[in-house]
Amino acid sequence: MRLINYTNPNALTVAPATGFGGRFQLGDIEDQIDWLFGTGLAGFAGAGRGGQFPVDIYEDKENTYVRAELPGVNRDAIGVEIVEGSLFIQASRKEKTGEGEGSVSFNRLVSIPEEVQADKVTAAYENGMLTVTLPKKEEAKPTKINVSVN
Amino acid sequence: MSLLNTLLPTHRAAASKDDGEPHPACRPYFEIDETDGGYGVTVYLPGVSKDGLEITDEGGELRITGKRTSNLAGGLTALHRESSDAAYELLLTHDNTVDAGNIQAELKDGVLRLTLAKAESAKPRKIAIS
Repeated sequence: MRLINYTNPNALTVAPATGFGGRFQLGDIEDQIDWLFGTGLAGFAGAGRGGQFPVDIYEDKENTYVRAELPGVNRDAIGVEIVEGSLFIQASRKEKTGEGEGSVSFNRLVSIPEEVQADKVTAAYENGMLTVTLPKKEEAKPTKINVSVN
Repeated sequence: MSLLNTLLPTHRAAASKDDGEPHPACRPYFEIDETDGGYGVTVYLPGVSKDGLEITDEGGELRITGKRTSNLAGGLTALHRESSDAAYELLLTHDNTVDAGNIQAELKDGVLRLTLAKAESAKPRKIAIS
């Protein structure tokens, strides 16, 4: 598994995060429709044929978790990159197609919150699920302040 | 090869559990390929571990049920969901050309590979003339 993390110091500031809704970059309209129909027909069972794969995002006080369904992928063929406030996941799966061997590739760009400690991101792959753990910055964690009442 | 001698997915709802409660289930993505000696079934079951997987073959019906096991701790807030928590269920019907006693299953990284051998009676044979 590859875990790459880089930022371009000369890059302009990205657009402010407006939460996760609508910030998934789904390529062109044709891909979006294919993706919509693909998941609709599969009953949300997951991507079988390349392209988009289902992604879940969770959070708790400490971390944000991005979980992706990527069954049957070799760990060496999974790439996780953090590029300027986005998480880029790519993977490929080797498949036997008739006599030859084919490769199916998956990729997805997920916008992540700004308060992520990009240098402490970890990823784990188990039972065909990739879980990327994005620790929150200290100042983004909820803090409890005790106020003494006199 | 006649249609009856093939392995077919069943479209009827596979909700014939004993307690009568409706079980939300989704059908996983799967592939069937035929070889000389039998059938190979590949079922994509992301999130299913060996413990959550159940394969039964009864009366010409091969039922694959996979419960997802989350490796995330509880108490998490979901910000965005695309996957479902429903269990996977796949029902395949076959006639007696499949040797039910010789079904091999292998689960690796959320992909189940089933190898179904054709029954001896379904294989071509040469009849000796006496």
